[in-house]
Amino acid sequence: MRFGTEDYRPEGVFDELVGSDGTPRPAARAVCDYLAGLDAGEMRQRRQAIDAAIATMGISFTTYDDGQNIDRAWPFDPIPRVMPASQWHRIDAGLRQRLTALNLFIDDLYNAQRIVRDGVFPAELLAGSRNFRRACQGISPRFGVWAHICGTDLVRDRDGTVYVLEDNLRVPSGVSYMLENRMLMKSVFPELFSANAILPVDGYAAALHEMLVALSPRQEERPVIVLLTPGIFNSAYFEHSYLAQQTGAQLVQGSDLLVGSDDVVYMKTIAGLRRVDVIYRRIDDDFLDPDVFREDSLMGVPGLMRAWAAGTVAIANAPGAGVADDKVVYTYVPKIIKYYLGEDPILPNVPSWQCHDEQERDYVLANLDKLVVKPANESGGYGLLIGPRATPEEREACAARVRADPRGWMAQPMLMLSTAPTICGESIAPRHLDMRPFVLQSKGLYVTTGGLTRVAMRAGSLVVNSSQGGGSKDTWIVEDTN
Amino acid sequence: MLSRAAESLYWMARYLERAENTARLINATQQLLLDLPEGASFGWESLTRIVGLGKLFQQSYARPDEANVVEFLMASPRNPGSIQSCIRFARENCRTMRDVLPRDLWERVNSLFLASKRYSQPGITRPERRRMLEELIRDRQTVAGVLATCMSHDVAWEFIGLGEHIERADMTTRILDIQSAILIRHQSGSPALALFWVGVLNSLSALQMFRRHSPGAGAGDNSITGVAVLHYLIHDPHFPRSVVYCLDAIESHLAELPHNTAPLRALREARRRADRASTADLGRARRHDFLDEIQGDLAFIHDAIAREYFHLHERETALVLAAQV
Repeated sequence: MRFGTEDYRPEGVFDELVGSDGTPRPAARAVCDYLAGLDAGEMRQRRQAIDAAIATMGISFTTYDDGQNIDRAWPFDPIPRVMPASQWHRIDAGLRQRLTALNLFIDDLYNAQRIVRDGVFPAELLAGSRNFRRACQGISPRFGVWAHICGTDLVRDRDGTVYVLEDNLRVPSGVSYMLENRMLMKSVFPELFSANAILPVDGYAAALHEMLVALSPRQEERPVIVLLTPGIFNSAYFEHSYLAQQTGAQLVQGSDLLVGSDDVVYMKTIAGLRRVDVIYRRIDDDFLDPDVFREDSLMGVPGLMRAWAAGTVAIANAPGAGVADDKVVYTYVPKIIKYYLGEDPILPNVPSWQCHDEQERDYVLANLDKLVVKPANESGGYGLLIGPRATPEEREACAARVRADPRGWMAQPMLMLSTAPTICGESIAPRHLDMRPFVLQSKGLYVTTGGLTRVAMRAGSLVVNSSQGGGSKDTWIVEDTN
Repeated sequence: MLSRAAESLYWMARYLERAENTARLINATQQLLLDLPEGASFGWESLTRIVGLGKLFQQSYARPDEANVVEFLMASPRNPGSIQSCIRFARENCRTMRDVLPRDLWERVNSLFLASKRYSQPGITRPERRRMLEELIRDRQTVAGVLATCMSHDVAWEFIGLGEHIERADMTTRILDIQSAILIRHQSGSPALALFWVGVLNSLSALQMFRRHSPGAGAGDNSITGVAVLHYLIHDPHFPRSVVYCLDAIESHLAELPHNTAPLRALREARRRADRASTADLGRARRHDFLDEIQGDLAFIHDAIAREYFHLHERETALVLAAQV
């Protein structure tokens, strides 16, 4: 196996490393030259070094269908995805703008609902939102921020435009892989880092800690921060324990916590009950508090919502933040930005059709073979229809689902996601990818430098979700040379 | 430290130690049978009684023969104290605690688990069984090595130490109690009995240290008496599998923990009883009762630890929640 860009041609899509004429893009030139200089044996050696490092670092990802051995090694591709810093700065600014507006939107929805009264956001959409939590009305968390941690998925289409595909405002995952990927690259390709001005990513853990500390209702004390996990059978358990270690938070399960008659959350320790100030929760709203949401939830904490409403504990992300993590709400984000900030969105949305609108629905149903149809409230690629690649039966089943619940569905044109060279067996071939930067917000705003690049490991596949067999790459934001 | 975490670590350590000592118990018994003289008898079933699971065994098996008893102790999923069950529980506890345990530990415990799956194969011969059990003991020693050398001696480690030493002291008394299960016509002093005590010492990897350090150990086999062995394995302050050594270890682990008054009180009670008893005065009939009493004292220490650290919050929870009614 040898990487020479003369053998590598982007296949009618935008390639992140190689231009359409087959020459490396300026920011990627050093990497491409370096890779081209490795012979097959050296490349294989590095690949083995990476596999060994993954095994010893114990990076794993859990899938539900894997039977007994629930830990799976994390599929990692050593060829980085490279982006010039000038391009990234625009994305960074766009994300700050977007998250500022989204948090204003959520806070407004649970309080005055100005945006609804002013006729910008339809009341019936709010009424039909599964993620709008009535129990959260009238509450205004510290700094007015609800979505403290957001993973926004970005994709790049054929013409090079970067679009926002979706905002994950509930319990976004993947940041630990972004950090571990960089560690891997540094240990296996250290010489690349001295030859390139690659911006560091490791400020995240400190920024996360700082963000959580700022949320504590007892600012005069050193806050007790816990990370609430559903437990070892959750697909992201590795990340939960990783982030707990990195931020010094206590990794807890629902049964480790209780809410007292004083509406304070306590954790059960060997020295008795200890007051908890901030909960970084990695379980969905539905399971958070059996007193308020799903009664059958065993992973939640009875009384948690009561404590949160009383302001004795901060929860990140705040319950109900998912109201803006809805693919129908998503289509309104440009208007939301305009409404709250008076600015035009820096990052465009993917053009979308809303099935609750009769005309748009008719268009969607007539063009199922060209569109990607998505459920409004699911994440992780579940329930998705990729029209051009679906069988007629699958399209028919999808049409029936859309007619039965128009509010629950939206559609987008099929984007040709950009690619990057990826090691596939003995050769290097283009594979489609996306990018998930993470945005932290409490007292201030923090955006990761780059983010997690997820790559579809199968040829031609556009599904990058790790739960659907995707892999990942290190993401390099490189200072422009001129 | 979370109560759940402390409890998981404590039980992980107990299960690992129990698995090791059950292996030692089976090996000691097998060795003993080879040396048993004409006219002496030994009932395999008494092994199940020694580990406190006689009733469960009777409910599960029709015949108390060697094959059934060994299967019950090594592989039975119905026996929560079988080696296989112990390792499975240890592994589960280890898995949930991966964030506080050294990385290598999980791999080692996992390979113990994989090896223990072979115990349920049919038709294992005695030599094979012996090899499997020795291998288990060796691999378990590696786990102990990882804990000793790769883990901070923090609060988590104290709980692991507590579990390990309570279980070890308990199992040492149980292995000593095999003596109550053999019936020999000629009383103490017979060469057969001396061989039996050599077997006990060997099973606890204690023979060499006993010869070096026990005042009751002389040159000839005849001088190894039950009294000397009992004395050594209960009172010797330096041998890591003796009861007194384990009690001292428990005390030093407790000393590092908060709220240790009640557990320390239980510990000192156990220590006083052990010190008071002079093994020389114990007739064979009394020995069994004495070993039983030590086991009871260890159970008290366990209860005090559980009340103070694993369920302390239950008392406080009751108080906090009571105000809501």
